[in-house]
Amino acid sequence: MKRRIVLVDDHELFRAGVRGELADAVEIVGEAGSVAEAVPLIRELDPEVVLLDVHLPDGGGEGVIAGVAQERPGVKFLALSVSDAAEDVISVIRAGARGYVTKTITRAELVDAIDRVAQGDAVFSPRLAGFVLDAFKDGERVGGDEELDSLTPREREVLQLIARGYRYKEIAARLHLSVKTVEAHVSSVLRKLQLSSRHELTRWAQERRLI
Amino acid sequence: MPHFELNEQDRALAGVCSGVAAMLEVDATVVRLVFAVLALAGGAGIVLYFALWVYGARKRVWIAAVLGVMAIAGLLQALGLSIRGVAGATLILAGLFAVLRRGGSVRPGGRLPLIGVALLVTGAVILLSHFGASGRPVIGPGAIAGMLLFVIGPWVWRLQEDRTDRIRLEERAAVAARVHDSVLQTLALVQRHADDPARVGALARRQERELRRWLYGSGVPDAATLVDALADAAADVEELHTVQIDIASAGDAPLEERLEPVVLAAREAMTNAAKFAGVREVAVYVEVTADAVSVFVRDRGAGFDRTAVPEDRRGLAESVEGRMRRAGGEAVVTSAPGKGTEIELRLPR
Repeated sequence: MKRRIVLVDDHELFRAGVRGELADAVEIVGEAGSVAEAVPLIRELDPEVVLLDVHLPDGGGEGVIAGVAQERPGVKFLALSVSDAAEDVISVIRAGARGYVTKTITRAELVDAIDRVAQGDAVFSPRLAGFVLDAFKDGERVGGDEELDSLTPREREVLQLIARGYRYKEIAARLHLSVKTVEAHVSSVLRKLQLSSRHELTRWAQERRLI
Repeated sequence: MPHFELNEQDRALAGVCSGVAAMLEVDATVVRLVFAVLALAGGAGIVLYFALWVYGARKRVWIAAVLGVMAIAGLLQALGLSIRGVAGATLILAGLFAVLRRGGSVRPGGRLPLIGVALLVTGAVILLSHFGASGRPVIGPGAIAGMLLFVIGPWVWRLQEDRTDRIRLEERAAVAARVHDSVLQTLALVQRHADDPARVGALARRQERELRRWLYGSGVPDAATLVDALADAAADVEELHTVQIDIASAGDAPLEERLEPVVLAAREAMTNAAKFAGVREVAVYVEVTADAVSVFVRDRGAGFDRTAVPEDRRGLAESVEGRMRRAGGEAVVTSAPGKGTEIELRLPR
């Protein structure tokens, strides 16, 4: 069974490119170019995974997630962007996306990422892993929830290897863990990213943008 | 700032107050209240109203000016200044007005018309002699300051607006120049090399990187930070060897001189990966912490046996390991045939 995918991106050319690349691996059941188009479409089609551009003309990808999440909690979102702005990436993750990959990703890796997200795992590109390590770097504690506001040494290790370009399987072999455990660590980091009230996170992301 | 015009639509008498309100972009009621209060001050508000009416009706401007001076004089008198004080202050204001009317400026380097200077000096002399003679502290200094603000404020405001406009224009010009030098040039190159996908890909990636740095990064064309410099090195290697180098980073640091060996060693490591690994993707990760700078260069390619590398292949030993050692850091090479290669560069801060 092929995964049922909806593609949300305002660039028709880019959508055509992805459609062509993924045609034999997944079933693209719908496409949208804006938040206003995407929300009713996703509600109606109820796909497994939505490939979501971070930037859309009538609001960010988080607008789509906010409009759908309530009614279709089963739909998973994978952010796909060329944007380097940490603020944008972090905000779409915090809205509920289960991962972020850059548009330069290879076809095989994209298919793999879609599969992972559909199974409920988190997918971090090296770039996102770097962002997260930077945002959660050791420093003054800002109060709030200690468990949510810091990474465990193991999570740090896993993220660092992702940032260095290692795949889950390679990370598992290197750290003598099972792939499932590696996935669990990444999902845990995703949860912290989404739930942490750490205001350093927001401040950091904004600073990155403003410099 | 819009010009002062009588407001025919919203008027109580002649539309002076709402005209002033429209010019200053405030509520007309506020302006009417101010005029009412000024009217109590020896009738200054009423005279000022007529002055602006005459001015707004595009009748004789000099009548408006005389009325305006009368209004200010009346106001100053009402604040308790003696006749001489009023005369001095009025002349100073008239002098400032004359300077502005004749296109001069009281800012450093501005042109000062003679008549304005004459009025200013005369006014100052009269005002100072007045205080000297009476021996009393300045009467109503706050009121005078307020009046000056009232007169000069709008002018300063206009200068500020001009400045904002000019900055906006300059920014626009900078964007245009930037787009021309980079994006348009790249598009031209892409058209010429349309039959060479590898070259087009490398061009597009370099352009993307540059644009991204300009939009979100340090904003200068020359690399100012470690990550920028590594991105530049990666772009060069990409163009020379048609590989794709992805850079991830956590933290960044200003590109000081002592970080340069790290950039050069990393560039050499990327070149090695591009030349010998036999794969098209290379991953680079930069980590800057409080006590060290680390760069990881990794490929999933052929790998090699370190002991089997011939002595004359100086790249790794000299350009990477030796260079890092001399800089006070280290390079660790992890590789095995068929297992890819990772080179870690580390420099304590």
